[in-house]
Amino acid sequence: MPASSDVTLKADLHARPAGQLAVAAAGFQAAVRLSAGGRDADAKSVLGVMQLGASAGATVTVRADGPDEAAAVDALTVILAAVTPAG
Amino acid sequence: MTALVGIVLVSHSAALAEGAAELAGQVGAGAVIAAAGGTGDGRLGTSAEKVSAAVERASAGAGVLIIPDLGSAVLTVKVLLADLEDDDDAPGPVEVADAPFVEGAVAAAVTAAAGAPLPAVRAAAEEARDARKL
Repeated sequence: MPASSDVTLKADLHARPAGQLAVAAAGFQAAVRLSAGGRDADAKSVLGVMQLGASAGATVTVRADGPDEAAAVDALTVILAAVTPAG
Repeated sequence: MTALVGIVLVSHSAALAEGAAELAGQVGAGAVIAAAGGTGDGRLGTSAEKVSAAVERASAGAGVLIIPDLGSAVLTVKVLLADLEDDDDAPGPVEVADAPFVEGAVAAAVTAAAGAPLPAVRAAAEEARDARKL
């Protein structure tokens, strides 16, 4: 049973958090996907995550499927919840 | 923690190489990235000596991925790789990615920062060719 969680973004999903998400996702065995606004991306691909074009107020869904899926969803949820405007 | 794959960005422009390294290092925090741009006397062009020094700086034992920008940068890198093959002190495997410069650098940096091996880092850079912006 895949794990999933929704996060509402406080700021646009710009390049730096996209990198944080991809690095974190790559550390899990589970397949991890992010979706927002009808688009879907492999969370382990930074360019894919940036291509989601998720902006402030958007809801991003994290889905993970694999042996460490719950931990993967938790880790990515924390990063998404901490997204703040670029400095 | 195991050694990370190093990334060397080779550009005709020192500013372009350093800017791409800065950006890739921000997105892929923790990645080891060395810039090799311009000629030894500060003109536009590429320098085998600069690339060779950058490969040494980036090498931590897990291999190095070189991402060149255009034309003669690729030639410079190919000559260097041929020299490394004959060098018993070569710093582990060194490969060249056929990838868009900025997107490839960012994708490679993130993958390397995650601790992935050289073939995966190269694949991430080369897959960047298919990434759409819009």
